[in-house]
Amino acid sequence: MGARARRGWRKVINGVNFSAFIVVLFVGLPLYWLIISSFKTPSALGDSPPQYWPNPWSGANYSQAFNQYDFGSYFINSVIVTLCATALVLIFGTMAGYALGRLPMRGKFTLMVALLIISLFPEIAVIAPLYTLLKDLGWLNSYQGLIIPYTAFNLPFAIWILRNYMLGIPQEMEETARVDGAGPLRTVWSIIIPMALPGLFTAGIFCFTACWTEFLMALTFNINLKTIPVGVATFGTALEVPYGTIFAASVVAVVPIGVLVFIFRKNIISGLTSGAVKG
Amino acid sequence: MTAMSTPIERAPASRGLAGRPDVNRRRMARLGWGFSAPALIIVIAVTIFPIVYSVVLSLSNVTVTGNGITLGGATGSNYVQVVQNSTWQYALGFTIIYTIITVIVELVLGTLIALVLQRLAAGRGAMMALLLIPWSMITVINAELWQYIYEGTYGVAGALFGLHDILGNSLQAIIGLMIADIWKTTPFVAIIVLAGLVMLPGDIYEAAEVDGSSGWSTFWRITVPLLRPTLAIAVLFRVLQAFGLFDLPFVMTNGGPGKATTSLAILGYKAIFQNLDFGTGAAVATTTALLVLIGCLVSLRAFKVQVGREGM
Repeated sequence: MGARARRGWRKVINGVNFSAFIVVLFVGLPLYWLIISSFKTPSALGDSPPQYWPNPWSGANYSQAFNQYDFGSYFINSVIVTLCATALVLIFGTMAGYALGRLPMRGKFTLMVALLIISLFPEIAVIAPLYTLLKDLGWLNSYQGLIIPYTAFNLPFAIWILRNYMLGIPQEMEETARVDGAGPLRTVWSIIIPMALPGLFTAGIFCFTACWTEFLMALTFNINLKTIPVGVATFGTALEVPYGTIFAASVVAVVPIGVLVFIFRKNIISGLTSGAVKG
Repeated sequence: MTAMSTPIERAPASRGLAGRPDVNRRRMARLGWGFSAPALIIVIAVTIFPIVYSVVLSLSNVTVTGNGITLGGATGSNYVQVVQNSTWQYALGFTIIYTIITVIVELVLGTLIALVLQRLAAGRGAMMALLLIPWSMITVINAELWQYIYEGTYGVAGALFGLHDILGNSLQAIIGLMIADIWKTTPFVAIIVLAGLVMLPGDIYEAAEVDGSSGWSTFWRITVPLLRPTLAIAVLFRVLQAFGLFDLPFVMTNGGPGKATTSLAILGYKAIFQNLDFGTGAAVATTTALLVLIGCLVSLRAFKVQVGREGM
């Protein structure tokens, strides 16, 4: 291995690093544009040719997003909806994942496949009846009107991931707890959850990202209780799109998810591969 | 191994309490359903029930009144209307072509990026973190960003490449949309493929090298076949997302210019919430869902992947 790697090295070192540099440009340049544009003065955003470096740097877009527009409350709405939905998904997903992974239920294979198929359905397929249902319940423009659909849409994937983690926990651990007289809930809490923690992180970060970025349902159900994506999409009018405000809001919206994704990147990668593939 | 574990497994039965393991098993099964109940109830209430209702809507004469909607008699006319509608035919063709092109480009680029990252000596973690940013980005923000890049008078695409009417020209708008999509999701494909590459057994490659296999043929004859389940997952995720395409064209082009970027989801949304035509909207939504299902099954078949039964 060592010799091969070293030999392969010399051959590719320049090519690989050059290609990696191209990748960084491909991914990074639009991000660079988003960030520097948010720091231009509102009038400089309309310059042609554009400024490739803000001159002068300005925080005007940020104060505009929070003062003139109501970005602060969109942000809070997003946080509330996302955190509640993620918590519910993790609680119900852990319980169901434990049952489907470790308890002798009949028909659980059918159930897992049914969940997989449900998770494949596009949102557009359920949006109209769900809208009618939420309207009848008086839940349009409410937190629960988004939290419950988000929970439902993210549960199937979370159950799959958690079930796969649960399958890997050795049976003896559970037996020992049972012999010690621990009830089922107690066993799940003190044995299963600590062992399945990486799976919980994986399921959690996926759910968080999906809720944080969801647009169609938030637009349809909660136009008067906007989350960040709806807020960003509706800042402008037909005549004028305030790009500065939009980009300032966008940078603020990317920060929390960016931090979480950075912290949990290993869980994301494992969720995208082993968790999803093993099935 | 088996000999070791058998006594432990047998232990409850050998206690001589007839039927006890059975009772225990039934109790555990009941516990299982109890534990699954909250999740299943929510999923059924929010997905299965609306899907069924959507099918009912699509098969009914729906009238929208001030108080909501009323269902008339059963009819297949919504589907006939939808299928014969030229906008639907266009949206179907657009969505399929868009899905095929973006998924192929993302798969090729994503695999190339993964191969580069795999060979990278240092900074792989930082690269992964960078790649995860577009993946986790709100699609609406992605749309606004590229709309600004493509903007006619002050967009950077105009300044750099002299393209001043990207979103006003049908073909350019479609390509522009695809570029925005490819930028956001190629990193996601790259990460999946890289994780798959890392898990491949190293000794096969040594054997291939001993046999004098060239890099190119090693890639096609060893890497690609071994990577097939991983690629299948990536394709499945992407086909699903691409077929439900909504956020990006809704914000960037609103389906235009004309109907150039009207995807099935955009069409369904407009039928339901702008024209208040619930029957047609439901028919569009139901056909889309059906096509997604078929698309997934076909792509899984193409990659010969089975959902494993192991451990069940």
